[in-house]
Amino acid sequence: MHNVENSIREAAKKLLSEKKVDLIVGYERGTLPLRTTPCFVDKAEDVRKLVWNENCDANLSKYLLSRKENVGVVAKGCDARSIAVCIFEKQIDKEKVVIIGAPCLGLIDKKKVKAKLDGRELLEATIEDEQIRLKGEGFELVFPKKDFICNSCLTCRHRNPPIYDVFTGEKVSEAEVDEFGEIADLEAKPAKERWEHFKEELDKCIRCYACREVCPLCYCKTCFVDQTMPIWFGKTNDLSDTMIYHLVRAFHVAGRCVDCGACSRACPMNINLREVVKKTEKIMKERYDYTAGLSLEKIPPLGEFKIDDSQEFIK
Amino acid sequence: MDKLGSVMVIGGGVAGVQASLDLADSNFKVYLVDSLPSIGGTMAQLDKTFPTNDCAMCILAPKLVAAGRHQNISLLTNANLKHVEGKAGHFKATLTRRSRRVDEDKCTGCGVCAQKCPVEALDKFNEGLSKGGAVYVRYPQAVPLIYIINKEKCLGCGICEEVCKAGAIRYDQKDEELQLDVGSIILATGFDEFDPSLKTEYGYGRHLNVVSSIEFERLLSASGPHAGLVLRPSDGDIPRKIAFIQCVGSRDATCGTDYCSSVCCMYATKEAVIAKEHMNQIEPTIFLMDVRAYGKDFDKYIERAENEYGVRFVRCRVSSIEEVPETRNLKIKYEPEDGKLIQEEFNLVVLTVGIKPSESNKELAEKLGVELDKFGFFKTQTFTPISTSKPGIFVCGVASSPKDIPETVTQASAASTGVGELLASARGTLVKKKEYPKERDVRGQPPRIGVFICHCGINIGGVIDVPSVVEYAQTLPNVVHACDNLYTCSSDTQEIVKNRIQEYGLNRVIVASCSPRTHEPLFQETIKEAGLNRYLFEMANIRDQCSWVHMHDHKAATEKAKDLMRMAVAKAREIEPLERVALGVTRRGLVIGGGLAGITAALALAKQGFEVDLIEKNKELGGFLRKIHYTLENDDTQEYLRAMIDNVYSNELIKVFLNSKVENVSGYVGNFKTTVTLDSGSEVKRELEHGIIIVATGGEEYHPNEYLYGKDHRVLTQLELENRITVAADEKFGNVVMIQCVGSRNDEHPYCSRMCCGEAVKNSLKVKEKDPEANVYVLFRDIRTYGIMEEDYKRAREAGVIFIRYEEENKPKLAKIKSEGKEDLQVSVFEPIIQEDIIIDADLLVLSAAVIPPQENGTLAKMLKVPLNEDGFFLEAHAKLRPVDFATEGIFVCGMAHSPKPIEESISQAKAAVSRACTLLTKDTIEAEGIIATVNPNRCTACELCMLVCAYNAIEIEETKRGKVAKVNSALCKGCGACAATCRCSAIDLKGFTDMQMNLIINTLR
Amino acid sequence: MKPAEKEWTPKILAFLCNWCSYAGADLAGISRMQYPPNIRVVRVPCSGRVNPYFIIKALQRGWDGVLVSGCHPGDCHYISGNLVARRRFAVLKDLLEYLGIESGRLNFSWVSAAEGEKFATVVKEVVEKVKALGPAERLVKR
Ligand code: SF4
Ligand code: SF4
Ligand code: SF4
Ligand code: FES
Repeated sequence: MHNVENSIREAAKKLLSEKKVDLIVGYERGTLPLRTTPCFVDKAEDVRKLVWNENCDANLSKYLLSRKENVGVVAKGCDARSIAVCIFEKQIDKEKVVIIGAPCLGLIDKKKVKAKLDGRELLEATIEDEQIRLKGEGFELVFPKKDFICNSCLTCRHRNPPIYDVFTGEKVSEAEVDEFGEIADLEAKPAKERWEHFKEELDKCIRCYACREVCPLCYCKTCFVDQTMPIWFGKTNDLSDTMIYHLVRAFHVAGRCVDCGACSRACPMNINLREVVKKTEKIMKERYDYTAGLSLEKIPPLGEFKIDDSQEFIK
Repeated sequence: MDKLGSVMVIGGGVAGVQASLDLADSNFKVYLVDSLPSIGGTMAQLDKTFPTNDCAMCILAPKLVAAGRHQNISLLTNANLKHVEGKAGHFKATLTRRSRRVDEDKCTGCGVCAQKCPVEALDKFNEGLSKGGAVYVRYPQAVPLIYIINKEKCLGCGICEEVCKAGAIRYDQKDEELQLDVGSIILATGFDEFDPSLKTEYGYGRHLNVVSSIEFERLLSASGPHAGLVLRPSDGDIPRKIAFIQCVGSRDATCGTDYCSSVCCMYATKEAVIAKEHMNQIEPTIFLMDVRAYGKDFDKYIERAENEYGVRFVRCRVSSIEEVPETRNLKIKYEPEDGKLIQEEFNLVVLTVGIKPSESNKELAEKLGVELDKFGFFKTQTFTPISTSKPGIFVCGVASSPKDIPETVTQASAASTGVGELLASARGTLVKKKEYPKERDVRGQPPRIGVFICHCGINIGGVIDVPSVVEYAQTLPNVVHACDNLYTCSSDTQEIVKNRIQEYGLNRVIVASCSPRTHEPLFQETIKEAGLNRYLFEMANIRDQCSWVHMHDHKAATEKAKDLMRMAVAKAREIEPLERVALGVTRRGLVIGGGLAGITAALALAKQGFEVDLIEKNKELGGFLRKIHYTLENDDTQEYLRAMIDNVYSNELIKVFLNSKVENVSGYVGNFKTTVTLDSGSEVKRELEHGIIIVATGGEEYHPNEYLYGKDHRVLTQLELENRITVAADEKFGNVVMIQCVGSRNDEHPYCSRMCCGEAVKNSLKVKEKDPEANVYVLFRDIRTYGIMEEDYKRAREAGVIFIRYEEENKPKLAKIKSEGKEDLQVSVFEPIIQEDIIIDADLLVLSAAVIPPQENGTLAKMLKVPLNEDGFFLEAHAKLRPVDFATEGIFVCGMAHSPKPIEESISQAKAAVSRACTLLTKDTIEAEGIIATVNPNRCTACELCMLVCAYNAIEIEETKRGKVAKVNSALCKGCGACAATCRCSAIDLKGFTDMQMNLIINTLR
Repeated sequence: MKPAEKEWTPKILAFLCNWCSYAGADLAGISRMQYPPNIRVVRVPCSGRVNPYFIIKALQRGWDGVLVSGCHPGDCHYISGNLVARRRFAVLKDLLEYLGIESGRLNFSWVSAAEGEKFATVVKEVVEKVKALGPAERLVKR
């Protein structure tokens, strides 16, 4: 981890001092334990601010949208992939970004930590030797780190950024995981039960749009739910409206979603939004053998076709 | 006397229709004459077409409708030519129009008469397989949709007269005579099918389960007698084993048809594949002599048929067919290549009947004074494939020799170029432009909707309670007038509609009647005549999709009609006038490639008065043709080429750029800009402006790696041999071995090069002619001397040329054998008949090398934004009906740039490309579609997704003050709406079918 | 009004492309093939025009079923509109079903201009399926 952090700093310094970029977007330590916040470094001497650890969870690709200056960006596997999608979709100018790719071993899911704390306040946390030590007033707890890894990281197959300009640290081995195992149980259920499940989950939605704000791929100027002429779908908390909001959002990220998990992490109501979008990933993989964000050239499934595409659902 | 700007086209099949449309679109008046009561010809009878398996009717119908509605085309159906006088420029033709016993002006095509007719007549269209009445149309989508009474079958019972509310039945209608003055004539008479009963050994007509391929085609058709089920005639069982017997009436001197019908191998394979698709248990076997899959992408089709569909191909001549009395199965005796006689039983036998010259050709030839060839096709020459022996009379399609649909369509367009060249000075003199009143501006006004609900005689009114629908319509928002009519489409109702528009100040009109597909243009025309924009119109289909399909549930049908009414009103409230933007046209052409096709195209454009820039990459014009010295008919190609090149240089409208290449292309139809680099010592760049582009980049001879080519001087390509034959005065050739398909039909070039079989036959005949002692061996996989070339194949065999077939897995081998101090070339090949290797000492080994696409095709295709096929040749918009067009408008392809082909086909294609180009170049402006996509820049994120899905390259990203946004080029957009449905931001919408309108329609649910 | 109060008959919204399926539906009419009167047709230029919103909105609005029909692959009047649409529909259908919408409510078909009979059969089948499912409830906004 440390050597990655160091080489990120070095790379950033080099890029800034050689004037290859005007700005580095990376992470700095946050004020709370287990937190980092995005930071912007424009002077070579400030690169010390940059950190790299299992709390660098923000997907920085969103900070690159419509930037005028040349930017270097620190990117995990999923971040780099969403950047790749945005480059393909011409939202990020390839000529203007330098991707500082960093290998990732999984992020800490703060919600999982919170669950263990039972409402107690966390004052300090340290991570060492695959163990995580949580301290607060009158308690000190030790857990294996793996208990707190984000679900999206548990099924990640692209810890090493597939697209980068500079690679920092050493490549880590990719895990052989069942990518879509998480939703298998749900899929196996009868339609009625799935419906009940999603009804219950999505009924919690308060339409705060945190998921949309945080998604690296939700960059429409006017989101479909905010459009008029026509108003396709309502903005109310009515279950039907809410369901459709999430359905359409999933459809819109189909073939683009990189499963960074940001939406799930952002949801204040703890809705497991990945459960919805994960399905789109699976559809893309199974029907069109496509995984988003692995290439800058490959046309995403909904932008092309093959004459013999699957059509078992068509009479 | 000035020439006449009008043309008579005889024959309303796909050839005649295409020729008529091209001519009419380039400002000639056209009389399209057909002896049948409706146009459409043979193609309207087909189920699917190969190699794409397109539905024939789906792709043909729009052309038929376009021809039926074209203001410059008069359809003269049920008519025959009586006689013709005059000469090129002014012919006077007399026609007889036979009585239909139905008034053409009154019949609305509703079909009530046929429903009620008590006579069961055999339906000719279904090849005698199903029944219909004495009053009929040939097929449901017939153009023109006017019924006809079959005099032989009609009982004169008067029932139809009684039921026809339009009063269209006229038992006493007489034949009439008609005079036409035309500048030129095109013959597109098509063909007749060979009558299989003439081949008595196959038992057609005797054995119930022996059917002709045309009957089988109808069996396969969804609109056929069993709605697509393959059932055999004797007992209605599903036949498991089906045998196709090829060449029935083709390649057969005993029937006087020793030509190849060119299409049977492919269409039989297609029928086999489709039969298999319809019913998987079917096992098709095709008995044939050669697999003549010479066309573009045909070999791939055959391969799929064999490997994916399990179609079995057996090479042999079938000697007899016997019926098994109990089962009515058929025993086929045949002799495969190894000579052992085999007998095999089948459940159904399909005789793949060949093409015969149309019966009418002879009479026509006499009346017109044109020559026929010995078979009875209209005679043409290699260099003038669309000219008959008489100036001013052109011929296209199968009328001149057997050919497939794309060649037919190509020739139809080419014939139209023939006319264009002849009558260029008279273009536009006989067409009238319709004048309309100024359009009322209704923008911003609240909708005032008028609703006209049709009874369609009793077709609607007999099922739906029309008055209650009228009443209901009156309650809908913005409807200010609603009424019903007996026939809304009749001419008197058009006047009523116009009056009501004025009277009630209507600004939106709805007709609730039949299908917009047939009637929308008529009503749009009407409201246009009343000063409304044609798009302020909407239709509710309460007949075809309501009263006719719910005939027994009047209540539900009426409810549904009301719902459809409500939906139509919902949309009508939101419809807006749409503009068809007029775009200027630069009346100048660009031709890329100075070979035969390019030169032909440039000259044809210039002859019609258009300036042309002709770009050639080499230092001289001529291309591939420079290496061909004579034709099968012994024409001197070099002399022809020299004359053509002289014509190019002496024509001041043509500007030739040698040593040049295209560097960049921008713009769109009517307005292209091209940068050309001239490499003459130093590089010079030129900017050219033009309205159309013709791609004629040609082909190249493959440089073989096989058979010691380039390493031994005795190994030549066909073209090199040809050169040698021409130069050498009296050479002794000795043993000449030719190997076919070198570099073709393999993994690297999986296609057939089409011209090599003809080349080999031609050169072997020439060798024999120069040196009768020479021995010529042709080692082939299939001899693909399609069409009339078959005769030359026969001639070669008669001259002693030996043809030996080899299998792909067992290619001929070449060895060098040392003897007496020199090395001999020894070719060995496995002979399938004697089942042994044959060894031939070769003095000359001649390789029929493939034709390959030039390398530059790739870059050029990118610049033009047009596709290449997998083999690297340019890919046309549609394999069958748009053979020289690209999907991108204003760009055309011809010659070997499209695929390998012989001289006459390149010439036809070049002229066809010119004809298509002229439909644009002859216009001052091109009208864009009204229904096109539009971008809302406030929403667009310039993600380019829409660009990916637009098949017409109609969208570009534009830099604006507010950043990048998508922009739709109205000249290119076809209005499919794929972009609108794809855009996540709803930033792009489709006029005429807007999101707003769709939303409102969906919301009409109660 | 609750569906149970009156005898319920399903209402199905169909988007038919102008060039093939709409023509196929016309042919069914010309051939007087009878099929259930539960379907309401919206003509669109091409199946490629059908935005997923149309389908979702129809379900939300309470249509009991949706049918989208276009030309067979290779026959689209606009070359590839149906092929682009096919992917869009596949994803939409998979997603909707995953959320628990009954699969019988979403129907797709290729019907050519010559397939009047097929059109009638498709309509019959769709109506049967939707009847078996009963009135739409999930996703309907009341
Ligand atoms: S209008 Fe009369 S003649 Fe014409 S189709 Fe109808 S019933 Fe027959
Ligand atoms: S119109 Fe839509 S799809 Fe096209 S570039 Fe704009 S946002 Fe993207
Ligand atoms: S409507 Fe069709 S042709 Fe027009 S821009 Fe959109 S995708 Fe292209
Ligand atoms: S036109 Fe029918 S699907 Fe495109």
